[in-house]
Amino acid sequence: MSETKVRKSKEPSGETIVLSDTAMRHNTSVLSFTRTTVSVLSGCSAGILGLTSLYGFLFYFVTALILWAMLVVKNHNSWQKFLKSRFTFLTHSLLGGLFTYILFWTFSYGMVHVY
Amino acid sequence: MVDLVLDRDIRIWVFLPIVLLTFLLGVVKHYVSILITTTRKPELQQVYDSQALIRVRYLRENGKFLPLKSFLMRKHYFNDEDSGWLKTQNRPAPASNPMQDPGMMTEMLKGNLINVIPMIVIGGWINWTFSGFLTTKVPFPLTLRFKPMLQRGIELVSLDASWVSSASWYFLNLFGLRSIYALVLGEDNAADSTDAMQEQMTGAAMKITDPKAAFKAEWEALEVVEHKWMLANVEEDLCSKPLF
Repeated sequence: MSETKVRKSKEPSGETIVLSDTAMRHNTSVLSFTRTTVSVLSGCSAGILGLTSLYGFLFYFVTALILWAMLVVKNHNSWQKFLKSRFTFLTHSLLGGLFTYILFWTFSYGMVHVY
Repeated sequence: MVDLVLDRDIRIWVFLPIVLLTFLLGVVKHYVSILITTTRKPELQQVYDSQALIRVRYLRENGKFLPLKSFLMRKHYFNDEDSGWLKTQNRPAPASNPMQDPGMMTEMLKGNLINVIPMIVIGGWINWTFSGFLTTKVPFPLTLRFKPMLQRGIELVSLDASWVSSASWYFLNLFGLRSIYALVLGEDNAADSTDAMQEQMTGAAMKITDPKAAFKAEWEALEVVEHKWMLANVEEDLCSKPLF
């Protein structure tokens, strides 16, 4: 829907911050896109490297942290414009990305190492 | 590490085709659904009503940014007992049963056609063509609980639980490729059937089933709104802040 809904939240300092719902939704969807892309790439590389069990899962969280670091460095002085908390860059759809990661990990591991 | 050697032909003729098939079928499903769904043309009266209701809601939510006089003028226009817009409009009650609307029925039929038939036909076909293969191994150990989930079609007690059969590989792809569709086809794609439900929930604002009840509810909501002037000291706020 194209209408702009405005949401407000009270800060502890008593200041009122006005947020645009449409813009917030757009930001989170961009975040999901980056999450999926990074999950696919890291899943493929984990499979090709032949990582198994715990190392593979560790690799996912390491890449998630790298992505977070990259996003934070890129927006280090303007992230307040985009999201309410800096940790949303890290936590948004972390588990959904894990499923994508496992699929591509299994796929490339099967292609390279099983046969 | 690998205790079982699989034929390399399985990789080329079973493992890869299942991935490609599930992905491309999702894409085809998306475009077919675009082809056969017709956007229902809304009636002028409905659009008029829903826009008026949205206007009332905006007044309710953002009226505090208007001066008191302007707010009261708008409120009077909508809510006055004798001449208010919400009080004077008369709409006929809607048809009681939506199932009797033939347009609705065709929509539902089309939705079923897109979602259920490919599931049955393609799933059956893949089960029939590619059944009985071990395709791959998940790169992490799993407990015995996962055996029926991952080794559908292969009943071997001694087999390690992390091997995946072809039928299960198809299902893993079916559910795992969802976020890839969002990446390739965009947010509102038809390949993913879970989002369609939420869409219906949120998109309800545009089509009001019973305008009379909606008018009454909005009238009540607007009636209790008190005007609280938000921009009382806006000059000081703006002038005290640095520009950037």
